[in-house]
Amino acid sequence: MQEPVSGDTNVASPTLKASVVNPAANPRRMRRIIAEDPEWSLAIVPHLSELCLQHIVSNFEKNPVVDHLLPEHQRKVLDRISTGLPLTVTANLISDEGYWKRCCTERWAVCDVSRYGGSWKRMFFERHLENILKYFIPNTTDPNQVLEVIPLCKEYVRKLEIDQFLPPVKLDQNKEEDDMSDSGSDVEFDEFCMNHYDLGVLTAALSHLEELHLTYGVKDCGMNFEWSLFDFTYQDCYSLANAFKKCHTLKVFKLCRSKVDDEKTRVLIRNLLDHPCLVELDLSHNLIRDRGARAIGKLINRSKLEILNLCNNRIRAPGAQAIAHALAKNSTLTSLNLRINCIEDEGGQAIGHALLTNATLTSIHLGGNELSEPTATLFSQVLAQNTVLTSINLACNHIGLVSSFPA
Amino acid sequence: DPDAKKAEAEELSRSHKQIEESRQRLAKLLNDGTQLLTNIQVAADARETQRRAEEDELKRQRLEKLENESKTNQDKFEEITSKWGSAKGKTIPQDLWDVLNQQQQQCAMLIEEKNKLISELQQELKSKDDQYVKDLKKQSDDIHLLLERMEEQIRNLMKTYRRELTQIEKAFELERRELLSSNKKKWEQAMQAHNTQELENLITRMQKVEEYEKQLNQLRVQDAEEYTTIKNQLENDVQILEQQLQQMKAIYQLNQEKLEYNFQVLKKRDEENTIIKSQQKRKLNRLHDVLNNLRTKLAKQIKQFQEENQNLTADYKRIVEQYKDLQRTMRHFAAIDAQTFLEIWLMNEEEAKGLMWKALEADRVLHTQQLGLPWVEPDYWFLDNVGPIVHRKAIKSASKLAQEVMALTGETREAREAGEAVRPPRHIMVKSVKHILELLCDESGFLIESKLLGLLQPLEKHERSLMRLDKIFAALEIDNEDDVYTLVDFFLKFKAHIHGLAADGALRGWNSLAVCVAAGQREERTAEEGPQELAGVAAKDDEGSAALKEAGTAHRSSAVSLSSVLFHPDDVLKALKAFVRDFQKPRDKRPQVKKVMDERDNSKDSEYWEALAHVIPEPKLKVWDALEEALEKYYDVLSQRAKLLTDLDGLQQQNTELHMLLHQYLTSKVSGDLEPRWDTGPGPGRRRPTTAHCYGCQRPCGSEQGGGEAGYPGPAAGKQKRWFLGCGRWSRLVLGAAARAYPCILCQPRWRDARGMGEGPGGALKASGGVRSGVDPADTSPGGEVTVCAERGHRGDS
Repeated sequence: MQEPVSGDTNVASPTLKASVVNPAANPRRMRRIIAEDPEWSLAIVPHLSELCLQHIVSNFEKNPVVDHLLPEHQRKVLDRISTGLPLTVTANLISDEGYWKRCCTERWAVCDVSRYGGSWKRMFFERHLENILKYFIPNTTDPNQVLEVIPLCKEYVRKLEIDQFLPPVKLDQNKEEDDMSDSGSDVEFDEFCMNHYDLGVLTAALSHLEELHLTYGVKDCGMNFEWSLFDFTYQDCYSLANAFKKCHTLKVFKLCRSKVDDEKTRVLIRNLLDHPCLVELDLSHNLIRDRGARAIGKLINRSKLEILNLCNNRIRAPGAQAIAHALAKNSTLTSLNLRINCIEDEGGQAIGHALLTNATLTSIHLGGNELSEPTATLFSQVLAQNTVLTSINLACNHIGLVSSFPA
Repeated sequence: DPDAKKAEAEELSRSHKQIEESRQRLAKLLNDGTQLLTNIQVAADARETQRRAEEDELKRQRLEKLENESKTNQDKFEEITSKWGSAKGKTIPQDLWDVLNQQQQQCAMLIEEKNKLISELQQELKSKDDQYVKDLKKQSDDIHLLLERMEEQIRNLMKTYRRELTQIEKAFELERRELLSSNKKKWEQAMQAHNTQELENLITRMQKVEEYEKQLNQLRVQDAEEYTTIKNQLENDVQILEQQLQQMKAIYQLNQEKLEYNFQVLKKRDEENTIIKSQQKRKLNRLHDVLNNLRTKLAKQIKQFQEENQNLTADYKRIVEQYKDLQRTMRHFAAIDAQTFLEIWLMNEEEAKGLMWKALEADRVLHTQQLGLPWVEPDYWFLDNVGPIVHRKAIKSASKLAQEVMALTGETREAREAGEAVRPPRHIMVKSVKHILELLCDESGFLIESKLLGLLQPLEKHERSLMRLDKIFAALEIDNEDDVYTLVDFFLKFKAHIHGLAADGALRGWNSLAVCVAAGQREERTAEEGPQELAGVAAKDDEGSAALKEAGTAHRSSAVSLSSVLFHPDDVLKALKAFVRDFQKPRDKRPQVKKVMDERDNSKDSEYWEALAHVIPEPKLKVWDALEEALEKYYDVLSQRAKLLTDLDGLQQQNTELHMLLHQYLTSKVSGDLEPRWDTGPGPGRRRPTTAHCYGCQRPCGSEQGGGEAGYPGPAAGKQKRWFLGCGRWSRLVLGAAARAYPCILCQPRWRDARGMGEGPGGALKASGGVRSGVDPADTSPGGEVTVCAERGHRGDS
């Protein structure tokens, strides 16, 4: 924005000579009124306030002055200051959305502000922190990098959506040497350093954190696939569980594609029991079996859980029965997703019986569970009796030809 | 506009329909799209489940295979290990080598097998890797497909949305256009109507304007004419007025001078007036003083006069009271005077009558004894009169009248007499009275007690009817003659009325009739009061006006004319009823009317007394003179005879003495011969009294002179009883129903003297009062007490 002005002055001296030669070369010189430039003014010498503002803008890093300015000047200053200013200066000083919008749009191509509650600043800081965490390599990256950011962004971060955690790369050389080394050697390394970044510090610092989406794995590995890249160690699990304890504001927790098995589930659930705020739990695409399912069933009645997503796990009939047992007594859960499990007719019937007494669940997804006719008939009874249920998905089952369900 | 509204609603509904349709179509499209997208997921899920199942199966097979393999290998391994023992036992190197070789071969075979397994598994792994790659590819394909589908979906959606939007817009446009066109049509119609209206208005306006212009022109012409005439007139007026102005100016000049002069005069007068005013003021002050003095005086006088007035009013009241007292006393005295007058009158009359009777007696004696002529008792009106000449006419009792009237049926002579006795009012004929009474007697039997009827049965018809009438009168409260006449009159009028008003409603005229009858009755009564009082009473009476009199006369005439008509027996009851109703009141009032004090008329008194004085006429006096002379002669003869008689008396006395002596001599023998005897008394027609005697002279009552022919009532029952006393005179008892004998007038004074001697002083006065009050001393004492007074001489005289 300030370039035209500065450009004007810069251009002025070289054109002193050129003006004689061709005055029409610079169209701006030839025009008395430049209508397309909103900053243009008739005054030959800019106002002192303009000059001051210019000065403030240019020296903003050293001397940030915003609050003491008049609103119109504030506006101008915020419109002009660079997005590259260090966050330590701007983070807690500037609350203007326009500035943060500029920052976001400059930094990322796709910006959907609606996902961040309409706040550009929140978006900027959340994505900034996510970025840092995504590319944080334990034992390699400086942990201060995170710790420095925390005081800046702790007021604004409400949601963390981290879809990859990089594993440590201490033995890069070794690994590079025998990429296809046997699993035995991998196990040895695991013991030392395969733990991911510990979120405990972060969650303790972020006082407004409400949503946490985690995936312990590497994104876009492509043909460089290695099981070690997708290892959710017990250490990780414990540290995560401890992190929950410090974070009481958490409402939504998603842990997907992280190879969470029964033991880890039990550890996590143990720390999530009687959580004051937790509303949504997503453990999809994991390796949870019946024992983990039983723990989750316990959690259902010992929290305020409303949405539970357990799709693509290894839950079989006993696990489903445990969940159904919890469901029968529950009065908070509204949505349950058991897609691609293997609960079969036994588990399906248990859930159907639970739904006869449950009066809060509105949607249930039982797709791909090897269900067949007995469950279907039971569900027809359930639908006749239950008035709360609005959506049932029974795709990819062998229900049979005669179906009494609505589409 | 309901049609328009309906159309509008339809239009709206059309657009709504369009929107609804589009919405449905889009929803379907969206649903289809999502289905298309979710199908991929579902397919992936299905694949995944299938893969899992397959994997499970493979895993199971693999495990089985491995187990089998390991088992067999274990067997082999055990075999090998067992062989190691046998190999140890081998001592022969060849054998040992063989065994070792064999062992080596077996181990190699085992390893080979294991390696084979490994390679198999690795192959499998590789294939899995390939599978993984394939899966990755598939996944990317799926994602691409998904993306493609999404994009297509979006495109489709956008397209359809756009299309639907255009359609909806079209629908709205159409609707709007229709609405516009219809509105435009309406507008145009309205505009056309408006234009035509405007045109009409314009035309009418033009016409009106033309009319008005014409009128204006006309008016202008008229006004111009008027203007010229008025102008001329006004100019003339101006000239005249100018002349007048000149005149006025002259007058003004004159007046000014006059006024100046007047002003001067007035000024002077004013000065004078001021002087006079001051004088007057002084005078006024003076007069004010005088006025004040006078006022005080006036106040004083007013006070004085008020006091005086009060005194006078007090006096006046007192005087009024005194006057009232006086009046009362006067009334009292008047009553007493009247009483005394009556008494004195009676006394004088008695005296006079006594004298008169004495004279008449003398006359009679003279006539009968001396002259031997038959003595006719003079029949003068005043002879009957007792007391002041007031109530000449006594009111007969009703029953008596009835008796008299009924007696008309008897012999003609008696009838004539009765006709004389019964003097009905002028307009009522005796015959009609009789007729009505008979009718009453026949028809009003119900008024008589049934017991009485039974008692009356044996009596003669005449008497029976009389008795019945008597009872009927008692029931109707008819006491005297007047009432009877009133009744008769009423009946007559009733009849007349019945006859007269037979045509129109009878009852309507009843009241008027009653009034008329009442008036008539009143009239009659006043007429009956006597000629002397008629004038006075008529003058006093308010109702006695000329009009009423006329009415009365008219009724009278009508009654006379109708009297001949027979009264129908059936009407009697009605008439009686009406009579009883209408005449109850007037009868009650009667006593009051009677109370009116009437002044006594003394015009005839002197005449009366004169007549009394001259009871003996002149010729008779002459006869008496002659008789006196003759009697004197006779007296001489008698005196001579008297001388002789004296001698005879002496002789007789001697004789009596002798008799006495003889009597004494014969003491034991007493005879009643010497007792006086009545029958030996003198008088040719004297009879022995059977009923009563005069107390004074002990003469019997009744005399042949008065018996019957005079028509005096006999000693029958009644209020007024006349008695013939021994001395041949009658006396009247005013009060008292019981039959009592009183001394005749002649012997009264003597009897009185005798009584007075017995009673003491004042007895004479009381005797006079006894007549008035009816409580005579004689009444108190039994009749037997007053016996014979020594009046033998008197009797002997006569």
